Amino acid sequence: MDLAFTPEELAFRDEVRTWVKANLPTELSHKVHNAMRLTRDDMQTWAKILGKKGWLGYGWPKQFGGPGWTAVQKHLFEEECALAGAPRVVPFGPVMVAPVIMAFGNAEQQKRFLPGIASGEVWWSQGYSEPGSGSDLASLKTRAERVGDKYIVNGQKTWTTLGQYGEWIFCLVRTSTEGKPQTGISFLLIDMKSPGITVRPIKLLDGECEVNEVWFDNVEVPAENLIGEENKGWNYAKHLLAHERTNIADVNRAKRELERLKRIAKTEGVYDDLRFRDEIAKLEVDIVALEMLVLRVLSAEKSGKNSLDIAGLLKIKGSEIQQRYTELMMQAAGPFALPFIFEAMEAGWQGNFPGGTLANAPLAANYFNMRKTTIYGGSNEVQRNIVAQTVLG
Amino acid sequence: MDFDFSDDQEQLRDAVRKWVDKGYDFDRRRAIVAAGGFDRAVYGEMAELGLTGLYVSEEHGGMGMGPTEAMVAMEELGRGIVLEPLTQTLITSATLQTHAPAALQAAWLPRIAAGEAIVVLAQQERGARYQLGRCAAQATESNGAWSVSGTKSVVSVGDQADAFVVPATVNGQIALFLVERSASGVSTQAYITQDGSRAAEVVLKQAPAQLITLNGLSALEEAVDIGIACTCAEAVGVMDKTMAITVDYMNTRKQFGVAIASFQALRHRVADMKMQLELGRSMSYYASLKLHAPADERRRALARAKYQLGVSMRFIGQQAVQLHGGIAVTDEYIVSHYFKKLTQLDMSFGDTLHQLGEVSARMQETAGVFA
Repeated sequence: MDLAFTPEELAFRDEVRTWVKANLPTELSHKVHNAMRLTRDDMQTWAKILGKKGWLGYGWPKQFGGPGWTAVQKHLFEEECALAGAPRVVPFGPVMVAPVIMAFGNAEQQKRFLPGIASGEVWWSQGYSEPGSGSDLASLKTRAERVGDKYIVNGQKTWTTLGQYGEWIFCLVRTSTEGKPQTGISFLLIDMKSPGITVRPIKLLDGECEVNEVWFDNVEVPAENLIGEENKGWNYAKHLLAHERTNIADVNRAKRELERLKRIAKTEGVYDDLRFRDEIAKLEVDIVALEMLVLRVLSAEKSGKNSLDIAGLLKIKGSEIQQRYTELMMQAAGPFALPFIFEAMEAGWQGNFPGGTLANAPLAANYFNMRKTTIYGGSNEVQRNIVAQTVLG
Repeated sequence: MDFDFSDDQEQLRDAVRKWVDKGYDFDRRRAIVAAGGFDRAVYGEMAELGLTGLYVSEEHGGMGMGPTEAMVAMEELGRGIVLEPLTQTLITSATLQTHAPAALQAAWLPRIAAGEAIVVLAQQERGARYQLGRCAAQATESNGAWSVSGTKSVVSVGDQADAFVVPATVNGQIALFLVERSASGVSTQAYITQDGSRAAEVVLKQAPAQLITLNGLSALEEAVDIGIACTCAEAVGVMDKTMAITVDYMNTRKQFGVAIASFQALRHRVADMKMQLELGRSMSYYASLKLHAPADERRRALARAKYQLGVSMRFIGQQAVQLHGGIAVTDEYIVSHYFKKLTQLDMSFGDTLHQLGEVSARMQETAGVFA
């Protein structure tokens, strides 16, 4: 038992810290530290800087051009990026579809798709949810019919995050209606420039268009874009979910946002109000406990002993914490969180914000936005079902 | 960063678990509660396992082990809701070893390690609640001999212990003393506490005392932090077993023709209990691994840990009772005793609200496991 990282791990962290400090543009970290709106270019800029260093696919093994880091090294990298105020890596390409292509794609597909993901050149989106298939994802209905050497895709995906920027989309599609719903699903890569695809942004409660509907009307997809075997897509998607472990908890970002919460509380004069301060203290303990939980999972991965099957707990606690810090930030500003001036969330806005300080401008929007975290990625109620299954059988 | 236990630590765990399973069943515990809440023979068995000398150096006849071993032992004792207070022994042996003059160490540590002497911390006072800096007991020196006057409350096995570690003020500053129970001017009034263990009010009137250290407040904080780490570990054992009993019951008990474990409303409670158990276990590790950190860092960490464990214990205890239904509020059924143990552990060494205040007062700009 030892809480400290090894000297090698600490040296690695210092190397990453130095590099991030030298390469993260300050206009980006300024926006992240103040929760200002990030453009597509902002996210691409950071992705390409990481890509050039070979770190965009920071979870990738060496054989596919990744750094081949250990679970602890990946965690330390995420921590350094988060604390420095780097934009989050948009996960759909490097974190979500790439591992599936590596594990189940053929050599041709790997050669064709992985370089564009690793460099940050190609923007990927995720096509899973449908209007009728949320938590019950396996009931999805978007059909792909095999006609010669093509699939003809018809149907609708929704909640496609940042799909308005997407160049490619990986989709779960129905290729069979026989047997259990899970056994008729295939994993298809689709060029979003294909004729018949329509992307419609959905305006959300915070005023942003973070997600989209994606319509498929007789879209032709070359059969060579099928990953693995037809009707095995559900297994590949599950592999992807299993790949998501500790970073779903996002504890490193939570540590950064706790610091921001304290700054806001001081500015707004509630940091020394014990009633408010105790709420911050509770959140602080929550974050430390979550970090310990994450470290336990990393330690178990490192040693291979005592495997900890608690991804569900990490998702539940991590998402609750994300909601809580945005809620407390908004409450700290109180009435000054209420003025809704969309442009005030842009960096460089020169107007006069009625809430006293510009730092208050995005607080309510952030709070509204974070309600998604307990819904997406398997709602927290679904997660509780999974946790209960491991405990009760 | 490594949370695996060594082979030696696993062996210690196995040894304690075996003793609890075979030597400390519910019937024996029930008989001990009926007889007053403490059994010196049981304490002797714990000494044979080496537990009473866990923190005592080999030079003084102990095992010279550290916080992780203490944590392992306390978890296992928690699993069996053992009444005999190893936490007290770990606190006082560490305190004497770190702060007492050599002669005092030589006089007491070998006997503590052997289980021949029980020394407990007598720090609580009516006017102080959990505040360690408030102390009405006073010490005076006359011709090189110290004596202490004051009243200490809810002292674990107060009428059975051989000596007390007592905070008392000297010129307004807290110092720590060792007072023997057999000394003149010492009287005790013993009772059973809510978890079935034994405690006493200890009244000291000009009782002869030996000085441990004049730098008493920091030594007392250190002592209580050891108590917190032990309590966190013990709580993990109690919660772990409470959950196991509850899960077993839910898979056996039938209502509406099916096992109650099939009801989603109940399953989600179990998922939330599992969350509290794992957060609690994580923070118990954190507590033990921070025990040797610099005082400020240690205090902050131990307050965070005890707060989390307080929340976890309250939740798991209450849910276990609710999930069982009526059977859990009977004295006959074992879960009510686990519930009472959890309740008492929360209220020992600073309860949830007290610890929240500590965390709140000690917050810095940055926070995390390493901050």
